[in-house]
Amino acid sequence: MEPLLRAHGITRRYGRGCDRCLESTGAEAGTNRCPHCGTVWACRDVSLELRAEEALGIVGESGSGKSTLVKLLHFDDEASSGFLELSRLPSLREVPELHAEGADWSRNVLVLDRYRQRRVRDASMGIVYQHPHLGLRMGVSAGGNVAERLLSAGWRSIGNMRARASKLLERTEIPLERMDEPPRKFSGGMQQRVQIAKALSGDPPILLLDEVTTGLDLSVQARVLDMIRSLREELRLSMLVVSHDLGVINLLCQRTMVMKNGQVVESGLTDQILQDPQHGYTQLLVASQLQ
Amino acid sequence: MLAGEWLSGGAGRKTTWGFLDDGAKKDVRRALLKAVAIPGYQVPYGSREMPLARGWGTGGIQITLSLLSPEDVVKVIDQGCDGSVNAVNIKKFYERVGGVETTTDTREATLIQTRHRIPEERMDAGQILVLQVPYPEALREVEPSEANTRRMHAEADYARMWLHLYEDVVHYGEIRLAYRYPCTVNGRHVMDPSPIPRWDVPKLHMADTLFLFGAGREHRIYAVPPHTRVEPLEFEDHKFRVEDFHGKSCSRCGATDTFLDEILGPDGTRTFYCSDTGYCDKRRR
Repeated sequence: MEPLLRAHGITRRYGRGCDRCLESTGAEAGTNRCPHCGTVWACRDVSLELRAEEALGIVGESGSGKSTLVKLLHFDDEASSGFLELSRLPSLREVPELHAEGADWSRNVLVLDRYRQRRVRDASMGIVYQHPHLGLRMGVSAGGNVAERLLSAGWRSIGNMRARASKLLERTEIPLERMDEPPRKFSGGMQQRVQIAKALSGDPPILLLDEVTTGLDLSVQARVLDMIRSLREELRLSMLVVSHDLGVINLLCQRTMVMKNGQVVESGLTDQILQDPQHGYTQLLVASQLQ
Repeated sequence: MLAGEWLSGGAGRKTTWGFLDDGAKKDVRRALLKAVAIPGYQVPYGSREMPLARGWGTGGIQITLSLLSPEDVVKVIDQGCDGSVNAVNIKKFYERVGGVETTTDTREATLIQTRHRIPEERMDAGQILVLQVPYPEALREVEPSEANTRRMHAEADYARMWLHLYEDVVHYGEIRLAYRYPCTVNGRHVMDPSPIPRWDVPKLHMADTLFLFGAGREHRIYAVPPHTRVEPLEFEDHKFRVEDFHGKSCSRCGATDTFLDEILGPDGTRTFYCSDTGYCDKRRR
């Protein structure tokens, strides 16, 4: 499968940094905070490649930089350095000066102005956050939440937007008679499904999932995961799945990256990582999995 | 001794012509130039203290004073009315500090300052309309933070304003904004046209006149230059509409093509009058 997105050397640090940061932080040092200058390296030199119709998992404990990485890729936060390039996706054709003449890969989208970053994001990505209140406007109707991305992409017909929203909400099993109610009134599982509908509204080829099932009870988790799996087949999505739950990763992802203290310590096929973990931390992670 | 004399150091010595000192006028004019250059963009400026409470038209007064010349003929309107206390007092103020002539006739005036209305008679290229603005930020309804609204304007990120209107249509079948209807200016900035009724919004579009907006309390100036596109936000299947006065007419002058004020009598009867009193008087003459 051809790659859609590639990232190289993605770094996010909070603080000025010093000469001794490199050796004093990271997985080997066991911390992401430099003891000399206090700089926090939330994400350090992360590289990845996401291919068409592939699900890539990112596992790691709390504070390992998984969510920061997703936020950087979604332009929610600004990277300190690094490259993020997108292939010639059909939906990106409208964004001016993104791809150089004849080039297969776009310019580094991390350094684009925010207006164009928003256009790139609207055209290529959807995101589902762990907490529904991050991704949804709780006071705005479920249909309106889905419509927001469409409005941002320039849709101006209420009829068309409602048709699209009802189709997506139906697909994510939200009863249509509740379409005009705010998600504030919904259960946690329903809120998460509205988030999925919103993420898919612009028909993006890439879906970012940040701990989508954390905080849901087991039966609801299973239904949400099932839905994500069938949506991936149906819409031929590429997904980046962030989770601390190896079960979720195992269920959804072909390839997996393991992060610790802001760095990637191991990556490869999911089966391989789960059955034959190489890095000490991955071994610990696999061993701590409840059977 | 008059307050102005006292401020400038004693009886006999007068304050600067037109009340504002030269530095203040320069500051306001500089903001005006920038505002005209970027239609719909809110230019911050150092709003001065005026002999009037902030929120009572100080933004408009500062613009008028910095544009005023002795040859000007000034008209001041308050909600369409030339004769309200606020309008009369501001008019007297201009007569006193600038010695200018005042009028109630839209056509005669060179400079018109207004609160919440645009005159019914179409203004021409030689005239300037100064609008008083209480809340210059069109996005304030949807975003309380000034830092965020500035970023949203910078990035032309207006999805949330549109979402606000979408929600109104979905829940009420109608956009519930009777005044301060948001407009896109020159295809770029979303602007608050000040609390004019919907009726007046189309008058801003491709006009011959320069429109200047002053918010004294909020320290902002913005402008719509002549022949600029001003388009109210509307959906393809839910168009912007002005107020419907079908079947009603002014009880004084009989006009059927003006914005009407509804007056409720003590016995519950409803009477309609032109909101623009200057125009109404003219039609009766």
